Amino acid sequence: MYLTAGIAIIVAMALMLARAIVGPTVYDRVLAVNSFGTKTVLLLGVLGFLTGRPAFLDIALLYALINFIATIAILKFFRYGRLTGVMSDENPAREELR
Amino acid sequence: MGHLILRVTIKTLFAPIILFALYVQFHGDYGPGGGFQAGVILASAFILHALGFGLDRCQRVIPPSWLPVGMALGVLIYAGTGVYTLLFGGNFLDYDVIQPDSHHHAGQHIGIIAVELGVGLAVAATMLQIYYAFAGREPEPMDDSW
Repeated sequence: MYLTAGIAIIVAMALMLARAIVGPTVYDRVLAVNSFGTKTVLLLGVLGFLTGRPAFLDIALLYALINFIATIAILKFFRYGRLTGVMSDENPAREELR
Repeated sequence: MGHLILRVTIKTLFAPIILFALYVQFHGDYGPGGGFQAGVILASAFILHALGFGLDRCQRVIPPSWLPVGMALGVLIYAGTGVYTLLFGGNFLDYDVIQPDSHHHAGQHIGIIAVELGVGLAVAATMLQIYYAFAGREPEPMDDSW
């Protein structure tokens, strides 16, 4: 059962990878990479139960965390052009540079 | 101040991330983890906070001048443990001399916890320093802004 789930997750990961490569806009790619990370978390969980090492769940938890932070960092960088400032509704990077 | 949901999420996650870092730090003997991973997780909590609330607020909590001290202190704890065992007649990082009479290798556990503490401190400080250096850079002017 875990093997079937693992294969299904790998197929879904391949689809996400295809979207990340093809994706016309940067937001498609970010969303694809984020979903890829989520699938990686699931795969780590399944792999942990498949090999009888539930300690993999720690790694899965950590991967979910890093994935979340990375997505926020990438989105902030593309929205504001830098990582420093406070996030607001307007676009401060472009305001300052004008 | 926009992005309310993101800010609330970051505030909610901040403490559990640090708790997870401590779990990885002290559970490193028995599960996956150890000082390096714990340091990265601890730094990632502050990086997340800096992403959401701005670098200035994060630097008010952990000033950039502290970070080199943290790095050096981590290496000092690591090397100091080694030299400590040298002074008691063992090899470098020979933990058994810390508790020589123990049949349960208590010296090994004490030594590894001390060393991992040093590694965690050094790695957390280095990661945060890398982020400060990376995020504190002024943005390049855009091509059409000349």
